[in-house]
Amino acid sequence: MTAHIIGTARPRNDARAKVTGSALYTADVALADPLAAVVLRSPHAFARIKRIDITGAEAMPGVHAIVYAGNVSAKPLDFGIKDQHLFPIDCARYRGEAVAAIAAGTEADARAAANAIDIEYEPLTPVTSIEQALAPSAPLVHPDWRSYEHSGDRVLRDNVCGYNRIRRGDVDAALNRAARVVTSRFQFSAGLPGYLEPRAAIAHKGSDGTLTVWCGSQSPYSNRDEMAEFFDLDPAKVRFINQFVGGAFGGKILMAPEWYVAALAMRCDRPVRMAWSRHEDNLHAFPRHGGTATFTSGAAADGTMLAMRASFAFDTGAYIGYGSGAALIATMLASAPYRVPNVDLEATLVYTNKHVAGPVRAPGGPQSNFAKELHLDELARALGIEPLEFRLKNAWQDGDVSPAGQRLTSVSVSEVLRKAADAVGWGKPLAAGRGRGIGATWWFSSCGGSEARVEVRADGRVRVVSGNPEIGTGSAAQALPIIVADALGIDPSTVEIALADTGDRAADGGVHGSTSTFSAGQAAGAAASDARAQLLDRAESMLEARRDDLEVRDGAVFVIGDPESKATFAQLAAHGDGPVVGLGTAQEMSDPEFDTTLVQTHGFAAWPAASFTASAAEVEVDPETGRVDVVQLATAQDVGFAFNPAGVRGQIEGGAVQGLGWALTEGLHYHGASLRDPDFKHYLLPTAVDAPRITAVIVECPSVEGPRGMKGVGEPPVTTPAAAIGNAIRDACGAVPYETPMTPERVWRALNDDIRPL
Amino acid sequence: MQPVRLCVNGVEFDLVVHPLETLLRTLRDTLGFSGTKEGCGTGYCGACTVLVDGDAVNACLFLTVDADRKELVTIEGLAGADGQLHPVQAAFVENGGLQCGYCTPGMILSAASLLAATPDPSDDAIRAGLSGNLCRCTGYQSIVASVHDAAQRLRDSGRAGERPGPRARIRSRA
Repeated sequence: MTAHIIGTARPRNDARAKVTGSALYTADVALADPLAAVVLRSPHAFARIKRIDITGAEAMPGVHAIVYAGNVSAKPLDFGIKDQHLFPIDCARYRGEAVAAIAAGTEADARAAANAIDIEYEPLTPVTSIEQALAPSAPLVHPDWRSYEHSGDRVLRDNVCGYNRIRRGDVDAALNRAARVVTSRFQFSAGLPGYLEPRAAIAHKGSDGTLTVWCGSQSPYSNRDEMAEFFDLDPAKVRFINQFVGGAFGGKILMAPEWYVAALAMRCDRPVRMAWSRHEDNLHAFPRHGGTATFTSGAAADGTMLAMRASFAFDTGAYIGYGSGAALIATMLASAPYRVPNVDLEATLVYTNKHVAGPVRAPGGPQSNFAKELHLDELARALGIEPLEFRLKNAWQDGDVSPAGQRLTSVSVSEVLRKAADAVGWGKPLAAGRGRGIGATWWFSSCGGSEARVEVRADGRVRVVSGNPEIGTGSAAQALPIIVADALGIDPSTVEIALADTGDRAADGGVHGSTSTFSAGQAAGAAASDARAQLLDRAESMLEARRDDLEVRDGAVFVIGDPESKATFAQLAAHGDGPVVGLGTAQEMSDPEFDTTLVQTHGFAAWPAASFTASAAEVEVDPETGRVDVVQLATAQDVGFAFNPAGVRGQIEGGAVQGLGWALTEGLHYHGASLRDPDFKHYLLPTAVDAPRITAVIVECPSVEGPRGMKGVGEPPVTTPAAAIGNAIRDACGAVPYETPMTPERVWRALNDDIRPL
Repeated sequence: MQPVRLCVNGVEFDLVVHPLETLLRTLRDTLGFSGTKEGCGTGYCGACTVLVDGDAVNACLFLTVDADRKELVTIEGLAGADGQLHPVQAAFVENGGLQCGYCTPGMILSAASLLAATPDPSDDAIRAGLSGNLCRCTGYQSIVASVHDAAQRLRDSGRAGERPGPRARIRSRA
């Protein structure tokens, strides 16, 4: 049976718990006698904090602890620039920024105490847009930026906290030779990760000084280390116990309520619990970056791309958050996956008095692909060349080099383009008012290192212990059981899983960077192989047989050709020094070589086990209203090798609809610097009615680096739908807004040449 | 404060509640039915969907006093007493109709309510019937497939049109 486990669709091992309601999420964890904790937030987008006095609030009934800048560590948090403290010291820099947290016997008591904190603000003029931030003599979001510690080669100037660039060839000379040159300008809204489970956390300081945090983190080990360092604790004395996570999409990488309950728990002798409402969660969310882009490209008359200049500016909000990653990735995608011999690709990261942007699933990806692919369609149209043909003519092939000079292998750009196009009937006649569009990208795989244990217990049951959090993708609950079951010749549904718990000492880099099955899967596979070897060792002595004469299947080791002569896993676990425990690790993966002379302040210039993805869409546009109906959406994704095809399909389909949401309805609305829609009434996630029929095409072009040739899966599918939908809108009606979300009003205005900003 | 008698998953509970307390708070905080999820608290996401006399409602918008003497079904009450999954639950497991699982209890109860009224729904009817339940993970395609499969399972087992939830009623000691 082993031959048919990996690579076949299997139910998830957490499915029964999830369909019966027994799966516990953080807010469901019931500890005895918890205190309720709330956050006090700044009502101002930008204000100097002149005074905070907690003495009156501390004396309120039921109050156990209040933490604020005056009584917690002043150690700054570090995301490349040490620009943020747990609570702001001098200025509150966005509306909703946490300035204090309160623990009390009841939530009502905690809220009353929060209202009683005596805090004096001096409102300042907020910076509400990139344009305003970059204007001469703009107010400074961080007046003291010069004094901040930061990583080596970072570019800082007034309201700018990052800049990076990839440059090769001579763009101006090549543009002068071009038959056609077009320039396009784009704007993108910030967007929420949109997970359905609002954040929650519980912390408790034990009498032995250990700090335990119950949470739903994407990265419990690194969060644990960060927290231990902040509170000057031995990491071994801090334990993060992950629960089931109700979606995350990058929004639960950076700690939030975890910080506040921990800071309070350090001062309380009871567990401290905080569960955010949707409103509060959206107020504190780490959204996808909004921003702008300008592209200028030129091509020869036969459609050969000659040059591209692309310039992004991203609004990273009040603190750097995950801005660096989004900016780096945007430049890496800007001309890819196409041959453009002369490029100048840059991104600037800008502070404003808005929410801190975060690493939302494929940071920088949807934005860069939307701009690049709509721009390329404009160029193809100017040349009079069919858009798919134009892309295929310029698509990367094996052996081509990336803009930063990385030699590319296992390239499948043409294949994913063709398969996505075929899936929506590319080239076939269309009904009136309908159009098709396409877009493609490349992406990276990552492996930040992972450890796993596979235990064969005395009852013969197999359990896999990994630090990889189960956030919904199925990496821990579906892929790991498949991989372990394959090595041990058992049914995957019998493999027990463990939710990440730093107390298990199975470290994992966390869920981000399309890494989980790549890294934790490798570790679990190695651990299962180790367990298998130990089972065979024991069977050799028990069955008095040679290794070559043994086979592992159906929960036992058999002597080949003699089905009566066998030792079950339970017997083998009892035969020897305790249960069988296999250990496995996945090593951190190094980046491929690239040409360092081509990049400037760029920390992410070469991508291992690169993957390729294309989406194609068919839409119908109502010219009277500008309403867009996505009729079908197809994504062809090269995953190298699909260990868990059901999981891959789930990632592609879910990513398609997230990408559709960002394209058409999702965008944070600010009134000045104030978020107008911290709820799901105004922030519109796609419903079952909005979602189209989706075709997921799995392409397997094996990578050199990945286990069995796999490539990272989770992020690419969210990066291409907006590009495909935008191009389909233009194909349907001849116009498209260069701005997301492409709301009916914006589409109508684009159609009617009324493109003044909303 | 007001006395109410709730029948949840076939068990009767006598409680005294504030007239403005929501069913979500009563089910989760007082009675411990934590399978009922809070996603938004304002009726836009459907994660807290439960059945009240067979109708799918948002527990966050439903006052507990309005559930007095009514029959409630939460996700914990859908499987048989022997632990056998309800056909809708089994279909979601087999068709990959869930990922993170947070929308799943509400989605399954909405689907069960839909199928009780419409034993053989079209794609469009399923999507319309579930449009009050947001899912951020799956893109809905596997959920629609799960509901079709559930409809087939219900018909095959002669349970089409059956009202979901336990038949027997017992008095809680609480």
